[in-house]
Amino acid sequence: MTNVMEIRGLTKSFGGLTAVNGVDLTLPGKELHAIIGPNGAGKTTFFNLISGFLRADKGTVRFLGEDVTGLPTHKISRLGVARTLQVKSVFNGLSVHDNVWIAAQSRSRFLNPFRPAHSYAATARKVDEVMERAGVARHRDDLAGNLSYGDQALLEIAIALATEPRLLLLDEPVAGMSPEETDRTVATVRELAKTVDVVLIEHDMEVVFDIADTITVMNQGTVLRQGTPAEIAADPRVQDVYLGVPEDDDAEG
Amino acid sequence: MSSDVLSPGRLAIFAAVLLLVAAVPWWLPALVEDYWVDIAAEILIWSLFAASVNLLYGYAGLLSFGQALYFGVGAYGVAFGLQHFGLGFWGSMGLGVTAATAMAAVAGIFAVRLTWHYFSIITIVFGLILYLLTVGAKDLTGGDDGLSLSLPPFFSLGGVELDLFDQATQYLFVLFFVGLCYGAMWVVLRSPFGYGLKAVRENAPRAGLIGLDAFWLRYAAFVMAGFLAGMGGALFALFSRYASAQYMYWTVSGEGVIWTIVGGAGTLFGPLIGTAALIVLREEISSIWEHYLMVLGVIVILMVTFAPRGFAGLIEDAVRRLKPTPSAPPRSE
Repeated sequence: MTNVMEIRGLTKSFGGLTAVNGVDLTLPGKELHAIIGPNGAGKTTFFNLISGFLRADKGTVRFLGEDVTGLPTHKISRLGVARTLQVKSVFNGLSVHDNVWIAAQSRSRFLNPFRPAHSYAATARKVDEVMERAGVARHRDDLAGNLSYGDQALLEIAIALATEPRLLLLDEPVAGMSPEETDRTVATVRELAKTVDVVLIEHDMEVVFDIADTITVMNQGTVLRQGTPAEIAADPRVQDVYLGVPEDDDAEG
Repeated sequence: MSSDVLSPGRLAIFAAVLLLVAAVPWWLPALVEDYWVDIAAEILIWSLFAASVNLLYGYAGLLSFGQALYFGVGAYGVAFGLQHFGLGFWGSMGLGVTAATAMAAVAGIFAVRLTWHYFSIITIVFGLILYLLTVGAKDLTGGDDGLSLSLPPFFSLGGVELDLFDQATQYLFVLFFVGLCYGAMWVVLRSPFGYGLKAVRENAPRAGLIGLDAFWLRYAAFVMAGFLAGMGGALFALFSRYASAQYMYWTVSGEGVIWTIVGGAGTLFGPLIGTAALIVLREEISSIWEHYLMVLGVIVILMVTFAPRGFAGLIEDAVRRLKPTPSAPPRSE
């Protein structure tokens, strides 16, 4: 079976800083995968590379066997990769409903300029369902810019879901959330992972070890270790990274 | 999205307003002097110009200071068609609109690669280049003095001949084409394409992440805006029997931006309201005080500070206050 994502030798430098350095990563799919690592480990840059925000210097990204290296974001999105951003990014001036609607409708290659938007019955059904699933249905007519931070994060997930992704990349979905919001989001993500492959970057270790099936630990632009939560928790080098003990970069890449 | 659905009540109000606007040549002269019918026609024409600014700024998030270019090309297309190529009335009008749209299709390839102030600057630069070329080719264009046009009738069959020299006919002629353009904008802006534009306006990186190609959406908006400005320019040349490089200067573009912002960017009829208000103001004040622009400046500052959504926003708020949202479902919180 084809792997959902296969990354080989992915490298990106900014001036003298190599943010992502020869990362190899294989995601077989059917699991919730978490990427952890200290600040500056290259996690978000890594997401930027595989979602097309940045162009890699070296390496390849394959999504469901197809080479997507260097494609622009909208093409990668159309192939089935959806992503949320670390700093919440929604369509502030549009209602929650319209945010989700345009995401759902964007699956059709051609945005018909002649047919009224409200006449698409299938899209309307999908939007209602996605809003319900992501837990933003009660804010249907509110402007996205007026939502609380936690609700904006949920709306971002709703937007991502509306594009019917096969792979969902979540960048710190619970950062800045209240405990209740975190619980709700974790439940939503867990539910999603049953039908969509999810990769999440997260700093909240409680959340990570609670929901992840497998974990990748990044440090200084490289993959330090990949394994099950139990393996990661037991790895002394991972503990070193988090406790701030100087790490030998050549140990493993 | 609920606001896109036409309720019978709204339809009735809309029909009444349309009737009132169409009957301007008959009721307006009863109240004020005859020439106000021509000013009404001029307002309709310039509102199309403002609408082209609005399509870019209010819906695609691109602030253009160069729409006068397409207005000018539309006007000169008509002038060249009539004076140089002998294309007749409709051929010349078609030439003006087509030339402006084609011009936008070329300029847009370069312009919409840029956003924010870079986009604004490149639109000014394009406008200035064409302005200088037009002024330079005085033999062909008349430069700042312009070209005067002799208009043939636009309809003649049997013994019936219609031309724009009759005030009411001219007004209705202008209203017909301006109305068509507003109708087309209404259709396009409530379509998936319109929502795509708004998404790009609100957040282009996010639009890319849901699979929208911001470049093509902006490009399509740019070409449509060129069409609208070109239609405005063509109508203006027919209306004034005149085309001149002075209407291509970038300050004319700036006026379109002001009309749009004062009227309410991002609303369908905001540009029409803004254009009407400020042209009426100009007509009233410039006859008694030469410093009309000072008054305009104060109004713009007041509007931008206290009513950033323009007249359309003020009207919307007033309507909402009158009617305690019967359509909105009760909030459960």
